[in-house]
Amino acid sequence: MTNTITGKLIAVLTLCLAGIHGASVYTDYQLSRAEILERVRLESLDTVNAVVNDLEYWLDGVQDSTKLLARILTQNKFSPPELNQLLANVLIDQDEIYGATIALNPDFEGNPRGFAPYYYRKNGGITYVDLAEDGREYWQKDWYTRAVAAAKPVWIEPYFDAGGGEILMTTFSVPIYHSNAQGLRSLYAVITADVALEKLHTYLQQLRLGPSGRSILISRGGIVLSSDRHDAIVQNYLEALSAPQDRDVWQRSFEATLRGETLVFPIQCPARLGQCSTRISTLTSTGWPVAVLYSQDEVLSPLRSYGTKTIFIGLATLLLMALAISLISRRLTKPLVALADASDSMAQGQLEVPLPRVKGKDEIARLVQSFGAMQRDLKSYIADLEVATAGKARLEGELAAATQIQMSMLPQGGEALQESGQYSLWAKVRPAKSVGGDLYTFYQHGDEELRIVVGDVSDKGVPAALFMAKAISHIQQFEEEFQSPSRGVALLNNALEKGNDNCMFVTLFFGVINLHSLEMKFSSAGHTAPSLFRAGVVTAVNQETGPALGLAEDMSYPENTLQLAQGDRLAIYTDGIDEAFNDSAEMFGVERFNTQLQKTGEHKIAQAGQAIFQQIDTFAGDMPQSDDITLMLVDILSTLEYLSTRHNFSCNADKPGSACDWLNKLLEEQSVDNSLAMELVLVTEEIMTNIQKYAQLPAGADIELQVNANSDRVELVFTDAGIHFDPFKDSHRAHLGSDIDSAEVGGLGVHLITRLTDRQNYQRSNNKNIVRLEKFFSSFDK
Amino acid sequence: MKLTTTVDIDDVHDLARVCVIGALNTDTAPEFEQQLQAVLDNSHELTVLDMKELDYISSAGLRVIFKAAKQAKNAGNRLAAANRKPHIDKVFEILKALPDMAVFANDEELDDYLEAMQNKVKSEQ
Repeated sequence: MTNTITGKLIAVLTLCLAGIHGASVYTDYQLSRAEILERVRLESLDTVNAVVNDLEYWLDGVQDSTKLLARILTQNKFSPPELNQLLANVLIDQDEIYGATIALNPDFEGNPRGFAPYYYRKNGGITYVDLAEDGREYWQKDWYTRAVAAAKPVWIEPYFDAGGGEILMTTFSVPIYHSNAQGLRSLYAVITADVALEKLHTYLQQLRLGPSGRSILISRGGIVLSSDRHDAIVQNYLEALSAPQDRDVWQRSFEATLRGETLVFPIQCPARLGQCSTRISTLTSTGWPVAVLYSQDEVLSPLRSYGTKTIFIGLATLLLMALAISLISRRLTKPLVALADASDSMAQGQLEVPLPRVKGKDEIARLVQSFGAMQRDLKSYIADLEVATAGKARLEGELAAATQIQMSMLPQGGEALQESGQYSLWAKVRPAKSVGGDLYTFYQHGDEELRIVVGDVSDKGVPAALFMAKAISHIQQFEEEFQSPSRGVALLNNALEKGNDNCMFVTLFFGVINLHSLEMKFSSAGHTAPSLFRAGVVTAVNQETGPALGLAEDMSYPENTLQLAQGDRLAIYTDGIDEAFNDSAEMFGVERFNTQLQKTGEHKIAQAGQAIFQQIDTFAGDMPQSDDITLMLVDILSTLEYLSTRHNFSCNADKPGSACDWLNKLLEEQSVDNSLAMELVLVTEEIMTNIQKYAQLPAGADIELQVNANSDRVELVFTDAGIHFDPFKDSHRAHLGSDIDSAEVGGLGVHLITRLTDRQNYQRSNNKNIVRLEKFFSSFDK
Repeated sequence: MKLTTTVDIDDVHDLARVCVIGALNTDTAPEFEQQLQAVLDNSHELTVLDMKELDYISSAGLRVIFKAAKQAKNAGNRLAAANRKPHIDKVFEILKALPDMAVFANDEELDDYLEAMQNKVKSEQ
């Protein structure tokens, strides 16, 4: 999917938007979180304050009423009915007060029984009881003694009021003093206001933070006044409320609170898993510690739900955005996809494929328009190209045919290998273009002459090729008149000059090699001098040249002579070789050519020629061939024999002398001197006799005798298929010069052979014995 | 190439003159050997091989001559060659053939020799 623009667009845009959106949501969340936390803190504080303030207000009311009553009693003395009335009024005025008493000091003004009227609420009404009834000594009660001990208003630790209100309560006790005439202050009474713990509890239980929230009111003495757990009420807070592991922190915090501090400390949540916090402070009015427990998780639940909502909304938004991006991207790239499909089809040659329709003038529309224009151009271009290609193909076909025709004008079609007993000749033309202006030709005139021509028409390509064809046809035309190269070249010059308005010209080498004498006569029409490889050394052949052919008529051409010898290699070439360039603009040059000729001197002629071509190609490297290249190599193998003939003699059927008779007759025909003839016949007889005696030829096998002769020598070659027999080593040789008595009767033949011939050679080849005997005329002494 | 042999007996000198005409080669040697043997069997004191008209001789022919020379000598007789052509002479020279064999360059030498021999015999008588 990411391989397509659509896919990339969707992926990249979605990723970017997800990043941006995520960052903004995160920032928003962080900011909102701070706000929410602050709000939660304030709300909690408000809740706590509201409840505490209510409680304070209520307790203040209890204290104020009691203190007011105390001030009234301090200033005046009231009769018991008046006291009762006062108490009843307090209860009527103050709903919060459960019960109230004015307990007179029994020691004051001689009232040993005491008097303590007590009004309290019961069954919706107000009930009266005298606490001093039945002789009960109320002045022993805590609420009395402690107020007296403190000599100021005190809150009494909670207790069960047996014989009074019969409920759990706490009591605000205020001692009242009267001064006598002497100014001595003495305790007049203790007045109390009872607060039902239940009532406190009702107030306090309004204080809840979260479903698991708790609030606890504790007296300064450590007794639980209110708790959600009823069994904890009136118990010691440490034992009743705290898990053992939390007791230390509870105690430390409780004591700190008594000193007026406000603390928050963490504890194990009592009713659920997780951490809870406890905030503990004291009521201003009573000094009672009030503790509020709450679960942080619950308090912070609005924040968490906000987080969840934010994530959900963020994801939903992202999904919607991705959907939108996907739709938009697809819509945007749809024409591109169609265009890509269309271009694929076009690449496969379907130029008629319809392009997508795009409205508007946006980039894609312009692209489609450009594509349409390209499609039209391509169609017309391909149509043009087809025409041009057809034309070019025709031209190439014609040129290929021309190449073939041109090469067919050259012996063996442009690369020739000719071998005879006297010479090997290899030649090759390689045009720089399809057709070229280089030429070579060679032919043997009679048995005695090898005529060789190498030429190079000015320029290259088709004009050069046509002129070359003209030159070749003239060479063939004048074949019979080329006895001397100088005359031949002059004739050719006149023929080519005729009608040569274009001033084309040919440089030409024309050589005639006499195969008997190995003398080469040659003329050069401005052609590069040939090179000669002889005995491992290459030299350029000295030559005098005439002008190139075809420029002016009746020119004369000097005739040069070069004596060749067996083993020579002559190389004639065109300037395409020495003027071959490499990419450093260096020329191959004559020196490099001569070096290559020398290096390949021992190769067979065709291999040597190919190797030199290869060297030129390696030298030129990537540079295209700039001119036609022609190379002709001629190896001189031997001189032409004037006579060369052979005859087979049957080992059994023919008498040994029949070979001698045949040879004798042959030599007579050739007018060979009689004495020389006799000697040749004699050695022939000796060899034939030896072969018959010792080579163990099977019945009917032949012995071949070959006779070669040229102006210098006669050569006799005997070939037989017998066992290995070297007459010069294996034959018995008689000791010469012995007397009749000691003379050996055999072993004379080999002496005659070695003495009567100049060179003897035995060779075993292809399971045949080959005996070669040579006699030089110069050594023959008549 | 053929060989013709004529034998001329000179009883006065106890001499057999064998004229060898043509070519003495492998082909002709066996027949010549027989003919020469017949002459030798007569045990003339001197057998002369007249080579005036011998055009050709090969080792096969020389072998017959060598053998005949030995045989003659063993019988107390002699074998001599006369009138060798130069190229036949050359062959003999090459082979340093039988330095102790009498060789007469021409008929005069032979005649002189025969006369001398006869005188010698006469003087002994």
